[in-house]
Amino acid sequence: MNIPKYDINKYNPKHMMLIPAALFAIALVIVLVSFITTGMPASPGIDFAGGTAVTIHTTDTKEEITAYYAGYDIKSIDEGIGSGSYYIKFGPMSNEEMMKFNEHTNARYPDANIDQIGANFGSTLQSQALIALLFAFIGMAVVVLIAFRKVIPAVTVVCAAIADITITAACMNIFGIELSLATTAALLMLIGYSVDSNILLTTKTLKRHGKLEDRVAGAFRTGIIMTTTTLCAIIAMFVVALIGQVPTLYTIAAVLIFGLISDIIFTWLFNAGVLKIYLEGHEGNKNKKQPPQQTPATKQNQQPKKKSKGAKQ
Amino acid sequence: MSKKPYNSAPKREKKEYTGWHAVIRDPRVIVVAVLVILSLCAIFVPVGDRGDSLTNLQFGLDLEGGSWIQLEFLSEVVTVDDFTNIYDVATSVGKTLDCTVNVISKNQIEVQKKVSEEELKSAVEAAGAAFVSAEAGVGSETADSVKRILESKVNSLGTNDVKVNVLTNLNGVAQYVRVEMAGVDMNTAQEIVGSQGLFEIRIVTEGNNTEHVLFGDSVVAVQTPSKDMHGSWGVGFTLNDEGANALRDACIKYGATTNPNAHELQMYLDGELVYSAPLSAELAASITKTPVYSLSASTGTGDDAKQRAQELEVHLRAGALPVQVQIAGSGSTSAALGDYFKMVCIIAGLAALAAVAVAIYFRYRVAKIVLPMIATNIAEIIILLGIAVFIQQLDIASIAALIAVLGTGIDQLVIITDEVIHEGIVPSQALYMKRLKRALVIIMTSAATVVIALVPLVIMDLSTLKGFAIISILGVLIGVIITRPAYGKIIMEILSKTK
Repeated sequence: MNIPKYDINKYNPKHMMLIPAALFAIALVIVLVSFITTGMPASPGIDFAGGTAVTIHTTDTKEEITAYYAGYDIKSIDEGIGSGSYYIKFGPMSNEEMMKFNEHTNARYPDANIDQIGANFGSTLQSQALIALLFAFIGMAVVVLIAFRKVIPAVTVVCAAIADITITAACMNIFGIELSLATTAALLMLIGYSVDSNILLTTKTLKRHGKLEDRVAGAFRTGIIMTTTTLCAIIAMFVVALIGQVPTLYTIAAVLIFGLISDIIFTWLFNAGVLKIYLEGHEGNKNKKQPPQQTPATKQNQQPKKKSKGAKQ
Repeated sequence: MSKKPYNSAPKREKKEYTGWHAVIRDPRVIVVAVLVILSLCAIFVPVGDRGDSLTNLQFGLDLEGGSWIQLEFLSEVVTVDDFTNIYDVATSVGKTLDCTVNVISKNQIEVQKKVSEEELKSAVEAAGAAFVSAEAGVGSETADSVKRILESKVNSLGTNDVKVNVLTNLNGVAQYVRVEMAGVDMNTAQEIVGSQGLFEIRIVTEGNNTEHVLFGDSVVAVQTPSKDMHGSWGVGFTLNDEGANALRDACIKYGATTNPNAHELQMYLDGELVYSAPLSAELAASITKTPVYSLSASTGTGDDAKQRAQELEVHLRAGALPVQVQIAGSGSTSAALGDYFKMVCIIAGLAALAAVAVAIYFRYRVAKIVLPMIATNIAEIIILLGIAVFIQQLDIASIAALIAVLGTGIDQLVIITDEVIHEGIVPSQALYMKRLKRALVIIMTSAATVVIALVPLVIMDLSTLKGFAIISILGVLIGVIITRPAYGKIIMEILSKTK
């Protein structure tokens, strides 16, 4: 067996839950601070804050570039690893300034990639992205509730997703990855991912027969393998994109990596703990169904879709 | 080992089909095989003009090279209460704010000017209506006409790959129009699109002095460039009554009819001279008698003249954007950088596939399980790309989605595999089907979640995110509906054979 030597049943569930709970608390503080200072869960990139960004591949040094853009408001210059590529950010410009800036840039770096977002457009994108995030959460919660029809496990899955996103956002703050359209997409994707292994765990423990310990251990075996395989794919993408300096690609990859790691921690420490406590209490009257908590209306809406099967199992 | 699985996978897949008749006959497996073949055809069979690319895949600007510009409308959509005559309100507000105001529904007007909410509010109240809300943007009719004009502006330049999309918010107000031009650099793109283009015709009075004749709003139609019988290129255009009279008056007043060469007609776009020519002898003769509505601006002979005629056509049309716009955002990638990004994306994809192969090899250590898994995963990606040929261009974000789908795909194959070979026991047919069904239930629930989480992005049309969301959703659906059930069948046959 090449799986990690971690016996999921060895520890007291309450102790297991402490680590992720502490992590979540720290993450929450970081994200709240960011919210207060920038209005977004991680510092907004030009997509949301407005501004101009240039990606260039050149043999020039950082100083030469700074000198070349002397008249412009340079916010930051990021350098790629060993391939002579730079990602330079500028403050907002007017239409006319922008035209001049484009000419200036093209004169020296004809292969530059220039992106510019106006402040207005940025705030439109920002509010839309937040709406998308909100809808995604609501949708996810509804699906999970319908699939399990038991409140505590469903709420745990939803909470795990919230924690996952929060920790990821905190990591973005720590590692200086900006919130852009691309990283927002990655965060939304994480909602799906984090639910993935949680559903596996919950389904396997709630709906299977046999010893609770065996069920949890079985779920863990499968779950850890599948998350690590995804992680391998994403890490490969991250490494290639970082060396090749494709910011869109490596920021998405980085966000997914943070999310998957925090997903592993949350699913197998926190969620597993909650489920064990819950099931140890319910083991006796396991077949007695708890009444579904959602209103009949929501159920009806969702029923025609394919996951209605999930409810039956 | 890392390379072997995916190099030999397609062949291997076929071999397995022939090895197990049951697998071959299974409808799920047949569907996958057929779809893979169709997708490969869709991707590789040369159809139409695809330039020098090897596939039919469409790429986004960040991989193809090109520019995008997003324009915002300097206009407001104002909602008032239902109890007033909206036409009266529109007229009154138009007078108060001194701008064009269109009625777009029974309680909404479009004010074609950038004004503050307070001003709008007081203008609406002055018109005797109650102000409800104001939102930057235009109604759908204006948006459509902007889209048409922009399309004709960019298309007439011969840029082959242009997309003009109006972005409408959830309230039905068009806020932005996005123009994407493949193979065009930023400055050219801005020249074509960014400038609103105030078109004006002036006449030379004396020396370098000119006088205003008419603005672009008097130009009611513009033809495409054409060659006359002498091989000379030109653009025909039509004036309205007002324009034709203004032109006739000016020509007579300044003496262009008698001495055309000293009083050339000049065309300006945003104050820049774009064309200047004297009246032709025939035109000078006829315009003295009656106003002339149909005119032609000649640019001479040769390829050069043809290009000038095309540009002039755009300039002539440029005056007609019905509402003022301003650049909200823009971006460009050079073709060389695009090619480079493309290469990095391909390497990233292959690296991800190899990483996945190595990871599951270490988990299962059995080629009989690992190879079908990789093959299924590749089939999934091929089908996804095959469908993408028709519905979605691939940009960098959607490549990231593709790689993520590769990861989730394998995840779920792991769930199926572990479920069926639970505790190393190969189950009977009936038990197997029960377990496969269970595994599919887990997969479907998580697939439903991914789809639900990403649907808002598709609906909201947040530029690059749309492609990301569509590819992710598509990947999940293909996996759940098509490839994973087939994999379940294959893995079972393989395992029972082993037994």
